[in-house]
Amino acid sequence: MDQERRAQWLRGVLDLCVLALVSRGESYGYELSQALRTHGLGTVQGGTLYPVLLRLQRSGLLSAHWREGRTGPARKYYRISPAGSAALRAATTDWNAFALSVGAILSEEPKR
Amino acid sequence: MNHDDWLAALTGELRRHGVGPDLTGHVVAEAATHLAESGEPPLRVFGPPEAYARAVADSLGGPDQRPPRRRPGPVRLAAQGVTKRYRGRTVLDRVDLTVRAGEIAAVVGANGAGKSTFLRICAGLLSPDSGTVRIDGTLGYCPQDGGTAEFLDPDEHFVLVGAGRGLSRRTARRDGRVKAAALDWTPPAGTQARHLSGGTRQKLNLVLAGLGEPDVLLLDEPYQGFDRGTYLDFWHEVWRWRDAGKAIVVVTHLLNQLDRVDIVLDLTASRERVA
Repeated sequence: MDQERRAQWLRGVLDLCVLALVSRGESYGYELSQALRTHGLGTVQGGTLYPVLLRLQRSGLLSAHWREGRTGPARKYYRISPAGSAALRAATTDWNAFALSVGAILSEEPKR
Repeated sequence: MNHDDWLAALTGELRRHGVGPDLTGHVVAEAATHLAESGEPPLRVFGPPEAYARAVADSLGGPDQRPPRRRPGPVRLAAQGVTKRYRGRTVLDRVDLTVRAGEIAAVVGANGAGKSTFLRICAGLLSPDSGTVRIDGTLGYCPQDGGTAEFLDPDEHFVLVGAGRGLSRRTARRDGRVKAAALDWTPPAGTQARHLSGGTRQKLNLVLAGLGEPDVLLLDEPYQGFDRGTYLDFWHEVWRWRDAGKAIVVVTHLLNQLDRVDIVLDLTASRERVA
């Protein structure tokens, strides 16, 4: 796939993907980056991911707290807030409508 | 660059970008955790410290250490109906600007809109064809370029300009070096200005403008040749001046700082209005 275009698309939806992943249960940065890869979005580097997490936290869509791990360093865990759940629901509806419109245009048969 | 060096550099860059100490601690600790768990090199995961610090600061929507706003003081600069023509072309047409103590005014506009001309008139270096400029207090002026003496070193500049503002040699030199440090610059003793880089000469210019704590500062795009870090240091210095009750006029073409100033004078708009 065209990497440039892919990166552009991802910029538009990364915050939604992060919200959706966190809505399934609290998580931390490294785990989220692995989950994004598992879902086929490729490698989202920390330099891209953490500023998104910070913005979601600052806008009140995620809450965060530190917890000591049994092994290894303390982790910053993120949890979705009620405002985050509401924003995710609204954005999911919007995205589905948007993706449907794009899909309809792209798959339209050319006129003869 | 190993993890610790990278994290130390990140700490410094976050501070430079105006990120507060608490948040800096969280961001650095979170990055350290990620690096420990992924085992990957910091440059690949986060990029250079400066770039990552900028991304963090941008995601905050600007520095979270904005200086507390105070009530502006008395009028320090009052320009009224300033008009200037060059060879039949009207460069400035009845421009008004009032700046009080503790305020920052940004002068913006396209190339040739008369930004530098307006500042030179405010500084008294150029006469308007009509209109008046009244300055209440002492004045510091930083030109876009020039303004330094080729064969003098930075300390000699401090002493020379300081003398004009009633500072002793020692006070002038110390004041100059303190202001240079705020721009992350240690003036090299004995190096003549002609051997300094363009950006460094502009640092010298800026220091000279602020020497002796003038009441009014006129700065004509003083950050040309600054790297991004120094550019941020420059704005912190401007906010500090504002907090200290100075009236500041900055010519700029960079619009992303405009939410952090008190007054915007758009000279393009004034000329379009006339045309």
